[in-house]
Formats: sequence, C-alpha cells, structure tokens
Amino acid sequence: MKIETILAGHGGQGVLELANWLAYFNLVRGRHVAYTPSYGPETRGGKVKCFVVSSDERIDSPIVEDPDILVVMNRPSLDFLPLLKAGGTLLVNSSLVKEGARRDDVTVVEVPATEIAGGLREYSPEKGKDTAIAANSVMFGACLAVSGENLRAEIEGIREVFTHFLTGRKAGYIPLNVKAVEEGFEHVTRARSAAPPPKGSVPLPRPAP
Amino acid sequence: MIGIEGHYEVKLGPLPTLTGKPTHYCAGCEHGTLTRLIAYALHELDLRERTVLVDSVGCSVLAHEYLNVDAIQSPHGRAPAVMTGIKRMRPDLLVFAVQGDGDAVSIGLSELIYAANRGEPITVFLVNNGIYGMTGGQMAPTTPEGMVTMTSPHGRDIATTGAPIDASKLLATFEAPAYVKRVLLPVTPTPATDFYNARGSIEGARSVRNAFRVQEMGGFSFVEFVSTCNVNWKMSILKSKQYATEVLAKVFPPGLFKDKFGVEKR
Amino acid sequence: MTTARDFLKGNEALAYGALRTGLNAFFGYPITPSSEIPETLAVEYGNPQYPAFKVFLQAASEIEAINMVIGAAATGAKVMAATSGPGFSLKQEGISFAAGMELPMLIVDVNRGGPGLGNLGPEQSDYFQATKGGGHGGYRTIVLAPSSVPEMASFPSLAFSLAFQYRTPVIILTDAFLGQLKEDLMFPEVPAPEFDTSWATTGARGPVRHVISSMHLDLPELSRHSEHLRSKFEEVDRREQRSEKFDTDDADIVLVAYGICARLCQRAVGALRAKGVRAGLLRPITLSPFPKGELAAFVERGVQKFLVVELNTGQMLQDVQLATGGRARIGSLQRVGGLFPSPSEIVREVEVMAR
Repeated sequence: MKIETILAGHGGQGVLELANWLAYFNLVRGRHVAYTPSYGPETRGGKVKCFVVSSDERIDSPIVEDPDILVVMNRPSLDFLPLLKAGGTLLVNSSLVKEGARRDDVTVVEVPATEIAGGLREYSPEKGKDTAIAANSVMFGACLAVSGENLRAEIEGIREVFTHFLTGRKAGYIPLNVKAVEEGFEHVTRARSAAPPPKGSVPLPRPAP
Repeated sequence: MIGIEGHYEVKLGPLPTLTGKPTHYCAGCEHGTLTRLIAYALHELDLRERTVLVDSVGCSVLAHEYLNVDAIQSPHGRAPAVMTGIKRMRPDLLVFAVQGDGDAVSIGLSELIYAANRGEPITVFLVNNGIYGMTGGQMAPTTPEGMVTMTSPHGRDIATTGAPIDASKLLATFEAPAYVKRVLLPVTPTPATDFYNARGSIEGARSVRNAFRVQEMGGFSFVEFVSTCNVNWKMSILKSKQYATEVLAKVFPPGLFKDKFGVEKR
Repeated sequence: MTTARDFLKGNEALAYGALRTGLNAFFGYPITPSSEIPETLAVEYGNPQYPAFKVFLQAASEIEAINMVIGAAATGAKVMAATSGPGFSLKQEGISFAAGMELPMLIVDVNRGGPGLGNLGPEQSDYFQATKGGGHGGYRTIVLAPSSVPEMASFPSLAFSLAFQYRTPVIILTDAFLGQLKEDLMFPEVPAPEFDTSWATTGARGPVRHVISSMHLDLPELSRHSEHLRSKFEEVDRREQRSEKFDTDDADIVLVAYGICARLCQRAVGALRAKGVRAGLLRPITLSPFPKGELAAFVERGVQKFLVVELNTGQMLQDVQLATGGRARIGSLQRVGGLFPSPSEIVREVEVMAR
C-alpha cells in the first residue's frame, strides 16, 4: 500500500511541519516514509510545496507527480489541482479558499481549518492568544480521516508525533495541537457521512492494521 | 670581548635528533643554524620521541631530511592548520614547523593568524629573509621598501605593493599567543674587521628552547628569525650579514613581544 | 537520537552514521547545503554515546579545514570534512596532497548548482571533479554515491573501511536533494572497527621514524611512487566496483543513474515495465571505481541501448561510453540548474529510445 501526498501553501502556514507530522505518524506505524521539502521555482514568493510518500514497501521516487491526496492551504496552491489522480482526494482549507476547489473526478473535502483552529484559544498555553496558527494541525486530523485512520485507536500515535516534534518550550502546545487534530478529524468524518462520493471515485486503500 | 649570558655547552658533531645528512642550504644561510639549534633543543629537552615536525614549503621543505623525528609535509602555507589537526588529536605530542616568510606571511597568513588566535599549543619558527628563496628570489610580503627582487626589478614600491608585514607585531595583537619573539639570527658585523658577533645564535638557541617549553605549558609560541639570503639578495655572504643588521633589522627590530608565562625571566 | 527507527534528513543521517562508526575528528566550514553536517556534529560533540569523537573544530576557511584533516589523519585518526561546490574546489590541493601521502580520510561533497556560486539546488556536476581527481597530479580517490537516507547513514562506515584498507581519501558524493530528503532508517548495532595505523606520525620510536610526504625530488623515486599509487588503484578497480541492479536480467534498455536520479529511474522502470517495455536500471554505488564490469557484461549479453540520466551536462555519460566501448547506443537525459527530470519524463525518453 502506498499513499502519495502533495501539500502546498505559503510560508508561515506550517505546511512543512504538517508534512513532517504526516510522515512521522506513518513511520511510527511501521511504514516506510519519504519527505521532500520545497523545491524548484514554486518556492519563490514564499510558496511552499512538499511531498510525503508512505508505503509498506521501500519507496522508489520521493518525488510525487500524481498524488493520491492534495492538501491545499491557500488559494494559489489550487494551481496544483490538475496533478491530483483521478479518484484522489483534495483537502482544502476553506477558510482561505472560498472558490475554485472543484473537479468532478476527485473527492473534495473542505475543511475550514483556520476557523476551527481559531476557536481553540482555551487550549493554548498562552491564554487568549490567537490559535489560528494551528490550522495545519486541523488539516493533520483531516488527512488522517481521509486516509481511513481510526482516531480512537491512533490518538496515542498522534501524541507521539507531537512529543517528537514539539520539544522544550514548544511542548506546551501539544494539547492545543492534539485537540486541533481531533477537531479536523471529526469535521471530515461528519462531512463524509453527510455527502455521497462523486461519480467514479475510487476509495482510498485502507492501511494494513 | 663578547659577553655570553648563561652557560651554553656547544655541542658539535652528531646528535640523535639529527640524521647526519649534509644540508642542502646555501652557504651563508641561517636555515642550517636554525636546524642545529632546533635539534639541540629537542635533544636537550628529551622531546625526540614525542615530536612531529611539519614541513612547510620553501627552503625548509627538506627539514625532515636533517631532523631525525617523525615528520609530515604540509601544503604551502598550511602548516599551522596541519599542526592544529595533529595537536588536537594528540595533545601529548610536540608539534612544530619552520616556515619561510612566503609560506607564513603570504599564502599562509590566514592559517597562521587563526592558529595563533585560537592559542593552539604549537610552535612556529618563521625564517624571515625578506624574499622568496626556494623559488629563485621573488618579492615577499616582508621585502623592505626599495629592495630589488625578481618581481620588483626596480625596487619594491610601497604605493602599489603595500608595506612589509610585521608578523610578530601582528600576532602580538591577539590575546591568545603565549610567546612571540623576534631574533636577529645572523652573525653581525662589529667595528673590528673580521670580527662578527654571534649573539644571534645564542639568543636563537634560548628562544627555540623557550618556544618548546611554552608549548609544553600549553601556549602558542612563535619565533621570528630575521635572517639572510645572500644568493637571492645577490650579495656576498658577509655583505648579507651587514644588510640584515643595517636594513632588515631596522624594518623588523628584534624584541620580545609576548611572554605570558614569563619564560624569558627564568 | 535514541529511537530505533529514526526519521532524519540525509545530512543528519550522514553525521550520525559517521559518529556511530567511530569518527574521531571533524573539521569544517559552513556552506549550504552541507552545513547540517557540522551543525549536527557540534550538537553531539561531548555526548558520551560517541566517546571516539574527540575533536570538533569549525575552521576559518575550507582550506584551513582540509589541512587540519591532513594533520589529524596523519596521527591515524578517523577524520571527516564536509563541503559543497566552491568549498570542494578549495579542498582539491589538500586532497591531492592526501592522496600522494596515502592518508585515509572522508570528504563529503554535497553537490549543488554550479559552476561558480551557482545555486542551492541539487546537481551532479561535480562528477568529473570527484571521480577524475579535481586536484593536480595523477591520483584517484574512491567515490561513493548514496541514493537514500539509509545509505547516507551507512556509507561513512564503508568509506572509512575503504580509506584505511587502501590508505586513500574517500569521497562521498551526494547532492542537495538527498541532503534535505527525510526518510525512515534504522542504525545497525555494529561495533566501530579499528584499523592498522602503524604508519602514522605520532613520535619516533628509537631508530624508527615515519615521514609522511608526497614530495619525491628524485625522478625515479617519484616514478616508483606514482606507479605504486596506480597499481593500488588498479587493485581498488578489480575489487571494489559496487553497483545495484533493478530488473536488468531481461532488459533491452538499461538506465544508468546514481543518487537521486536513481530513485526517479526506479519509478520510471516500474512504469515502463507496466507498459511492456523491458527496461532496467544500473545504479553505480562506487563512481570511482566505476562499475565498468557490469556495463561490459550487459553489452556482452546483447544490451544495445543505455540511457544515462544525470544532473549535469553529460559527465557520467563519458564513463558509460567508455565502458560500453562503442558497442551500444548511449542516450543522455540531462538536467541542470537544480532541476530534475520527473519519472514520467524519463519514461517518455526511454519510450523514444526503445522504438
């Protein structure tokens, strides 16, 4: 089983962090992973585009040409929509991308990540500080939902990811991020049970237990 | 009457620290003198089996042919860096190099400065004769104004080539170096005809020994030997001693620039 | 780093791989995209987990660094330096001296865009410089080309083994992509090997003293020394050619690629096979000695077409042409400037050649 993901946004949105978390989450579950940070002309103008591949087999190309999942955090990143495989899934931060997230042969999942994150102030170690920055964690939850993960079973894995990456002073942000992941996951799960899949879409393979 | 400070036993003949091979140095060159002073100090301080000599590039490139110690060759100017590598890995060894003015003050100036600034416990002996000897007499960073060389045929012009660089004064501006000394090594003319003063050799012997002692005490030691190069200066041997005394030693006056451990007082 | 399965970027993996194989000293100078190597080592310096790691020093220049490496290597230590592009050029004199003096050491070049200042993207344009000897005089070094983060971790150990066995500098030629790529890897629990260092300069012993020098003023003496270096490399050539093959047993066309290009070609080969094209991949692991034997064997077997995929304007291409002796058609897919071909571009190129 292999899942190839492209994540895109602008600098400061935490896209590279999100990609690292996704990769590490899969690594912890025993898979091979490859993470490629931004490359090429896309990186000019503060744009970020990175790749994550997770697989049960050793990974050949870490470069992703036609992803199974495309994560779009801002409007200009929708330019990558044509790359998405037919039957793939587009996860879009609908707080910032109001329109244009449309393609008939893919599953479009809209996640108002920035708004959801903004509503989690009480979980921030700095009380009252704006938490919209955790939008990438909301998206993390959304990605896990779309990959068929079972949140109840994986909450420890998610904590392990954040414990690995948020060290020292940043450890205070673990509860906020875990909550954001839960919220993102719940949002997608609710939305999916409500909407039918588009014609001709291929469900994503379930990961081996 | 020449006054001699202290008692110095002059050892003529073979030493365990000399290979015994006749040197290639030109007649009248102080490299030969320095080689013997170093050999004697290493022997007297019983350092032979703990010593690594780093050959530099210049007339001293063959130093290992004459000094009977472990030796490694360094690229041009890089001896202080090579010495740093050896000493950092093996702080128990005594590490030193004999460098010419081109090697130490031109291509190798950065390596020399940084080793000195870090206070690496190594020893650099600079043989400063104001010219590139090995390569046939080109201008050096220490060539005095007006001196004719192969690349300054009309005499060194300060306006276009800069003034001579004083390595001892330069290194003395850094905090870390523990011993910075300049010695006029050649015999020097006296008012009496055919009588030459050999104070330089005695001062040189003392300075070499002090330099090694400073390294053993953990400090960076540097001794600049103002010397001659009669062949490339295109002078007779005796004339070159006069030139060293009257010209070179005025540009580079002998002195003690740094003595953190007070070794000269002992 | 304490987890059994780690998630590291290539540069970090290389640093930890070196530490775990008993690295004694590192001398370096910051240059993107290799700086994570000294940065990682600076952080781990003093960590009791790596008791052999005695010296970490950031030098004032690339030149100062390589010469510190020479000095430390002369004492028989396992020494490493890491650099990129312009820094690799500055080190060439030192590497020439080290080869002439037969000093073991590991030099890492993280190939970036060139020539001159270039850019920070991945290229494979230092191939000639690394494999043919970028320094003066006649010498060869061993050049290893990792293509994954696990190999970045394991190659320092291989490099030191070869370096001490043959008393030669060994170069790990990687690139800006692999330096930043993060993959999962596991570090094997293997004890750090010890090597014969009886030739080192660590102080004379009675009448015996060692002189490590590349200077042989007597002409016949230098001739003998150079002949010795040559025959040493001939032995390396006979015994140390390393490569990996994918799907080549029945291949009509063989791709030849190293480093990140090999990974892209692997994907392309998979896609080509799915389309019924009998393509395979030869991945050189040693760029020097070049795996001529494998290429000659392919030609012998009847393979008529090869496609060399590299991030330069045609360097390894020449070695493939030499090794196949004019008996096959050699295509060349080149990208420079930090750009690289996608697997589907490679597939298209092969399809054109396969017709």
